[in-house]
Amino acid sequence: MRAALARLAADSPVPIFVLAGQGAAGRVDGLRLDPRLRLVDSPRAASLLLVAGRLPRSWLRPALRIHAQMPHPRVTVWWPLGYAPRSLERRFAGVVRVAAQEDVAAVLVRLQQALLRRERASEPDLLPDVDPAPWRGVGPYGQGGKGMTGGVPFGRPLATRAADRDGLELDFLPIRVGPFFPPLPVGLVLELRSQGDLLQEARVVEPAPGRPLPGDVDPVFLRALAEPVPLAALERARARHHLRWLAGMLRFHGLHALAGRALALAEAALVGAAAVRALGRLLERTLALGWATRGVGIVPPEQLRGQPLGPVARAAGLAEDARSVDPAYRALGFTPVTHREGDAHARWRQRLAEAAQALELAERAGDRLLAGGEGVVEAPRGRLTAGGATASPLLELLPALLAGQEWGDAMATVVSLDLPPVEPVQGASGVAA
Amino acid sequence: MNAPLLADVLFWLFAAGSVLSAWRVFRADSMMRAAYWLFASFVGVAGIFLLLGAEFLGFILILMMAGEMTIMVVFMVMFMMNPAGLNPMTMVHQHRTSIAVGVLAFLGLAALALFADFPAAPVADTSRATAELGTELLGGSMLVFQTAGVTLLSTMIGAIALASVRGRYGDAEAGSTEPQIAPEGVGRGSHAMPAAKEEPEMDEHHGHLGHG
Amino acid sequence: MSPVTRAVLGVVGLGGSLAVLIYLAAVLDRVIGHRVAQQPLRWSAALALPAREAARLVLQQRSRTERSDAEAWALAPALLAAAAAASVAVIPFGPAAAVADVDAGLALYVAAIALVMVAVFLHGWSPNSVYPLIGAYRFVAVTLSFQVPLALVLLATALPAESLSVSAIVQAQDGLWNVVRQPLGLPIFLATGLGAAFWGPLALPDADDLAGGTRAEVSGVPLLLWRAAQLAVLVSIAAMSAAAFLGGWRGPWLPGVVWLGLKTLAVLVVLLLAGHLLARVRQESFVVFGWVVLIPLALVDVFLSGILLL
Repeated sequence: MRAALARLAADSPVPIFVLAGQGAAGRVDGLRLDPRLRLVDSPRAASLLLVAGRLPRSWLRPALRIHAQMPHPRVTVWWPLGYAPRSLERRFAGVVRVAAQEDVAAVLVRLQQALLRRERASEPDLLPDVDPAPWRGVGPYGQGGKGMTGGVPFGRPLATRAADRDGLELDFLPIRVGPFFPPLPVGLVLELRSQGDLLQEARVVEPAPGRPLPGDVDPVFLRALAEPVPLAALERARARHHLRWLAGMLRFHGLHALAGRALALAEAALVGAAAVRALGRLLERTLALGWATRGVGIVPPEQLRGQPLGPVARAAGLAEDARSVDPAYRALGFTPVTHREGDAHARWRQRLAEAAQALELAERAGDRLLAGGEGVVEAPRGRLTAGGATASPLLELLPALLAGQEWGDAMATVVSLDLPPVEPVQGASGVAA
Repeated sequence: MNAPLLADVLFWLFAAGSVLSAWRVFRADSMMRAAYWLFASFVGVAGIFLLLGAEFLGFILILMMAGEMTIMVVFMVMFMMNPAGLNPMTMVHQHRTSIAVGVLAFLGLAALALFADFPAAPVADTSRATAELGTELLGGSMLVFQTAGVTLLSTMIGAIALASVRGRYGDAEAGSTEPQIAPEGVGRGSHAMPAAKEEPEMDEHHGHLGHG
Repeated sequence: MSPVTRAVLGVVGLGGSLAVLIYLAAVLDRVIGHRVAQQPLRWSAALALPAREAARLVLQQRSRTERSDAEAWALAPALLAAAAAASVAVIPFGPAAAVADVDAGLALYVAAIALVMVAVFLHGWSPNSVYPLIGAYRFVAVTLSFQVPLALVLLATALPAESLSVSAIVQAQDGLWNVVRQPLGLPIFLATGLGAAFWGPLALPDADDLAGGTRAEVSGVPLLLWRAAQLAVLVSIAAMSAAAFLGGWRGPWLPGVVWLGLKTLAVLVVLLLAGHLLARVRQESFVVFGWVVLIPLALVDVFLSGILLL
């Protein structure tokens, strides 16, 4: 009976939960299009944990907790992508490493089938199964409080009560949303306080304020800081970035099939601006995407003036674009696209328009080279300078933006801002500390 | 199994179920469970309605009670700090008074049930309960129901006005914290933060999705 | 045929047809999804996919969380499935044939939809976890907004039939289907029906912005049961719209059951397409929309059909 079920289940898409470390973002998106795999949102829906790239030390404990939540049969797979941290193999005993030229999807499918047929044992727990709260000696659950009020039964503080705007004392729940929460960029940890359906307060825990964020910038932009690069390559990279972000946004809003279409456009070797515009028209016609994003997360242009914030600023009406001063772009007749409203709706339309514009420029550019070497280039997320990345000013705006919003709207705002993944500060080598 | 026997068996099942779940309401630690045990009790009563031939009333009872019990749960979660019963607690107070009142009420109702002279008027098999209900609502009892209907409508309008977006201190979308009544920098600071007792614990122990 | 035999046959038939329709709904969902995504999918692969997924889920361990409400957690998928099955039971598949031909069939149907709300709330509350809890009470807020229009448009179809029994409603459509007489009815019913099955634009409890919402902590057989029960509710909505608006078993040449099945599948395709093409609504906007737009429109629908009757 079990063997029959295992045979039947052998060809089902493998559910994997991905921990995308450094250098992994683009490669993971490629996996989404593979029909043999299914990337899931919750570790409890997954059979395999795919650790891609390099995990900094501060993410190891959350990664272990995610591993603990995965139901059996499970296995951890590590996709090094050029990094060689040994601490991962130490902490994740029994992790399967993907060799350099292997097809990741094939490895995952093979492991899933071995797990189902019980040819491979499921991984045991890596964390000790102990009570998080020390015994406090008061009350049968050791909660330490007095009767009904307060205390921390099982180490989890109960919702307390706080006044809301009408003077009622309503429940007030602190929620920590942590490094691998799907709508948020990888590594961002928020501390939210929710009262009813509204978030009263938001606080950015990780990254610490002021820390630089290299982000996952396509290397062609980094090269453009120092030397002339082909304009077509730069613009195609820009379009690819925006289309990938669009796919992520569509997935967030529940449009998985359309996200697949956007991702296919992003991953295609040569895609024309016409296809992107067609997708844009389809999305415009989908009324509900307008409902879902209109008026959500309005960022007023005053807070964005002068900051190197790229599409977010341009969607609020500020026509700031480092490409306007570049002679190669001016020769092609480039003018920055802008929208007025500055809400999530304007931001996704902005990025879609910029992707189409980038592809058109790439088609017309031929072999033109960017003037380059000036130390300033317009990356997909904003202006990039040779001095290195600075802390994203959007993170400072985040608490004020999210306060008072409903959960769905708050997450939609974060998604629409296209924050870079929080990656560790580059050490001297790729070896995790 | 002939029909009267089946009806009797079902009646006793529903009745016993109602009484048992009503008892569980007061023994449950978790408020959610208490509310849904009450719902189960009402479902038993709705079953008895069905046996009496009042199908419409039975289904409507289930419909209304499902919504009402869920709203009760949401309100309890909103206002109480221990809605899941994770902390030890007791929701029953004034034991002696309530036992006395309960026994008295039981004796009174039992006396009524045993000694009152109920008419023997079995409902005909072909009666259309819904049509008769409708005729009664718009015929003999119209005044009663219209008055009750208008009262309910005004209550609903009042509730909607209370819950409106324009709250007491302004628009709800402009952030939901109470405005400061002390000037900034004197005394309280951020009002929305309660006197959180066990702050350090929050680091590792949140929710079950260890996303953080 | 004694009543007991009839009842048993009815239940077995109901379960079997519901299982077949659930499976077909899952297959259609995949096919439509791949079509919208412009990715190729062979029909043979599509037909086997739900079975493979189900087998994999059976082999997966069921998850436990700390201090969860274990009984309520186990009850939730069962309650959802029972509500869906009870609601399908009133739908007639022939001139005098329904598994439960109750006089107040519409009342039973709307009560079953209310039980869906209870089941989803239980499912979200029980794991003692944040994301399912948020999903659960979001759904409660939205459900209370769409239950009234759903009941009202169904009542409007009861007016020409002068009866709450679904068989009578189908009988009363012998001249003209209700979708033609009451044009507002079917769109409103489909919109609120998507909410009742928490599908597509109204997938608020199991949403992607909550890492799966009430499903986030579920795995293994309970997850399989939950997803199947959700599809059962969707099938029930499709079947009721076929019966109340599209003439149910009425149609030439083919037997009534087949017509009902075809109409149900057609409505299912529409619902699944809506799931793939419409983004998830904002909770607050939908609540406002429900009270300010849907309820007045449903009331207009009732008035119009009443006027037509007079």
